[in-house]
Amino acid sequence: MDRIGQEDLVVLLGTPTPESSKLYAMTVTEGDPSWAGALAGEALGLPVYHIIEPQIRDQIDSEVYKAEVGVAEMVLDSEEISATVSGVRANNTGN
Amino acid sequence: MYAREEAAGKMFRIVHYVNQFFGGLGGEDKAGTTAQVREGPVGPGRLLQQALGDRGEVVATVICGDDYVAENETEAGHAIDEALETFKPDLVVAGPAFDAGRYGLGCALMCRTAQARGIPAVTGMYPDNAAVITHRRELLAVPTGADATEMKAAVFAMAELGLKLAGGEELGPAAEEGYLPRGVRRLVLKDRVGYERALDMLLARVEGRRFASEVQVQQYEKVPPAPTIDDLSRAKIAIVVSTGIVPRGNPDSMVSAFSLESYRYSIEGVDALEVDDWESVHGGFNTRILNAQNPNYALPLPSLRRLEADGQIGRIYPYFFSTVGNGTAVGPAREIGRRIAEELTDAKVDGALEVAG
Repeated sequence: MDRIGQEDLVVLLGTPTPESSKLYAMTVTEGDPSWAGALAGEALGLPVYHIIEPQIRDQIDSEVYKAEVGVAEMVLDSEEISATVSGVRANNTGN
Repeated sequence: MYAREEAAGKMFRIVHYVNQFFGGLGGEDKAGTTAQVREGPVGPGRLLQQALGDRGEVVATVICGDDYVAENETEAGHAIDEALETFKPDLVVAGPAFDAGRYGLGCALMCRTAQARGIPAVTGMYPDNAAVITHRRELLAVPTGADATEMKAAVFAMAELGLKLAGGEELGPAAEEGYLPRGVRRLVLKDRVGYERALDMLLARVEGRRFASEVQVQQYEKVPPAPTIDDLSRAKIAIVVSTGIVPRGNPDSMVSAFSLESYRYSIEGVDALEVDDWESVHGGFNTRILNAQNPNYALPLPSLRRLEADGQIGRIYPYFFSTVGNGTAVGPAREIGRRIAEELTDAKVDGALEVAG
């Protein structure tokens, strides 16, 4: 981020569970919630989405999406993941 | 009150304990790391320092690998004791460990070692953490969620409780102070006599209002041991593992932690697990040797086949059950066990060999 700047930067997640999605979404917004890594206490305030969220999915060619994400999406708890990541965005005061 | 006034304004010295992951040393590959001491806060200790503000200073951090502390309690205890001798803290804070079992045991060791020196100690854990179950009476632990996203709330709660202890304050009951009940009962003087309070509770119950009993009964689980097997040479024995052994490629996508399921796989006609055909997906220990050399360490099929061939056991059930135990809370684990036991009972299996991960 230091190199390319924050403008036009969005973080896309491909994390498998609501818990891991929350961890990484929080890491790039308000800072690493586990305080274990380099981003502890670093509120980057970046916009963050999971790839299965409609805002992202709808922008991807449906054939490509089906081939690359389709199978994974079927086994993921999409509703809970979307709710979790959008919840983190709503709290993203750094943005 | 006197103790608190005397302590007011004092900057308490605090030593913090974390595992190799939160200490920034690495993941499972660094779980064998021996005790290390760093001056000042590390990892979540920086958050702890924020929570303490000018009321306390994290003067040092003890970092131990999870495997090391779980397998070398005496040696790790000595190293912790030396660190306490060097830094002479007023308070020890450990973790929080959330629902990580070995980390919880490390935190418990840190707290117990400090308390043995007369230093108050506080930790934070998920109520089902193995360390809470093992050391409940000795631990002052704030309840946390199961994962690290709740770090902030947990650390701030530990800091507040810890500062009270360091200031010499007498703690009230667990429910009021916000720590996990330790099963300790203290005599206290109430404003109203017992029968009046009991009648109040009775009325509340009848009227459907909320009330809290004054006697919290700990629900200990009793697991009656299974009857012994009279004649092993005629017994049908099943294998149940929580070592995460699955056919290579993990066809059922078994998770590596927080499992809510077990899967069964056929071992009919198989004498030993070949490394090209089987692997462990366990996320709680280092699986390199299992997955690169010999998966039978986590499911001792060759030994069992030998016993079967020698006639020491009747025969081995043609399917084994596999799951991973790390991170799974007691309730869901019990449910996994119930489902496995159901099939084994239906199949008239006489006994099960369980290999823990």
